[in-house]
Amino acid sequence: MTYVARSALAGAILLAGLSLSSAAIAQNAEHHDPIEPFNRGVFGFNEVLDTVAFKPLSTIWNTVLPEPVRTGVSNVFGNLDDVFIGANHVLQGRGKDAMTDFSRVLINSTVGLAGLIDVASTQDLQKGEGDFGQTLGVWGAEPGFYVVLPLLGPSTARDTVGRVARVASDPRTYFAPVWSYSSTGLEFVQVKADNVGNANLIDSSSLDKYAFTRNLYLQRRAAIVQSGRDAAGAH
Amino acid sequence: MLRFVFSLGLLFACMAPAQAQNASAEELVRHMAADVTAQVRKNPELVNSQTQLAALVEQRLMPRFDFNRITQVAMGRNWPRASGGEQQQVVTEFSKLLVRTYSNALASLKDLDVQVRDTRANGGSDVTVRTQMIGRAKPVEIDYSLSSATGGWRVYDVTVEGVSLVTAYRDEFNGVVSSSGVAGLISVLKQKNAK
Repeated sequence: MTYVARSALAGAILLAGLSLSSAAIAQNAEHHDPIEPFNRGVFGFNEVLDTVAFKPLSTIWNTVLPEPVRTGVSNVFGNLDDVFIGANHVLQGRGKDAMTDFSRVLINSTVGLAGLIDVASTQDLQKGEGDFGQTLGVWGAEPGFYVVLPLLGPSTARDTVGRVARVASDPRTYFAPVWSYSSTGLEFVQVKADNVGNANLIDSSSLDKYAFTRNLYLQRRAAIVQSGRDAAGAH
Repeated sequence: MLRFVFSLGLLFACMAPAQAQNASAEELVRHMAADVTAQVRKNPELVNSQTQLAALVEQRLMPRFDFNRITQVAMGRNWPRASGGEQQQVVTEFSKLLVRTYSNALASLKDLDVQVRDTRANGGSDVTVRTQMIGRAKPVEIDYSLSSATGGWRVYDVTVEGVSLVTAYRDEFNGVVSSSGVAGLISVLKQKNAK
């Protein structure tokens, strides 16, 4: 058998196997979590890290810094994120939404003092929702298997590819390490501190926190992709 | 021509009650939101007391929720397998958990205003009232699914930013029931509520 024929055969067998296993999964559950034991391990690790490091850090952050400072930090990162949201809206063919995103960046970077103040939101330019994982979804990629990433938390195969694309396209990745790490670290703590309320809510309302978190994540991501598709269709 | 006018008349006659129905579901959601907001404004200390908030949610909101249906959907295929007594126990414990979840969520959503966006008919006696909470940089979208199948509109699911509350519990309930049965689910719910 030639090399081409052999790989075609192997591909066909692999595909048949994949479609069989996904049919079996679809019957058993609504989620696709083939590496659950591994995921639960990483989830436990993240939980410990949250308890010993991020929750105390968030508490310090929220008590030491006055509200306007915290909002300012959040806005600066939000302003940077608007650039990526706009780029993704372009990739999804949502020209009008991208215009809004880039207008926000323009206004907030100038009138909003380098992004410290979110002036655009008061001018009816609402913050959009967009990321590379969503773009892949709008293009037709399925979420794939569920995976819990160390430190970063819930994701899917598709959203992990999206995250890599985000890191690779972020100019901060190519800064001197000290700036790159401190900026990423600061953003991480700020996001954690912002989400303390949500984390507590999940704690108090779930029976199996792992399953609850997985379900919330998958539902939320499906909704974000659907809203991206709707918006792309409306353009 | 006469037939056209007649069928048009018939169409409107059919539409009118449907619209009136939608309006009353919308009215109910609007009333619930306004009621809770007014209570919190009247007594701002409320959001700092979990017991007071829970009492508010229980008295004002919970009578409008169809806990039987909520529990039934959350249990999915395990519902018919449970005995009548077990079903009743799960409904009781799950509604306690939901009261707590709802009052905790309410505490973090203070200072926000609810606006009704629109109401969609889902066929039959089933509608979705779409609302948004404004007051932050980004409005939070909250959809209420209501049904009048049991007489009077009652909420059977709440969807926050695309996440259905009932669906969120289905995975968990399934997991607990398949590992320790319906009795296990009841005891886990009781433990959670006792905390």
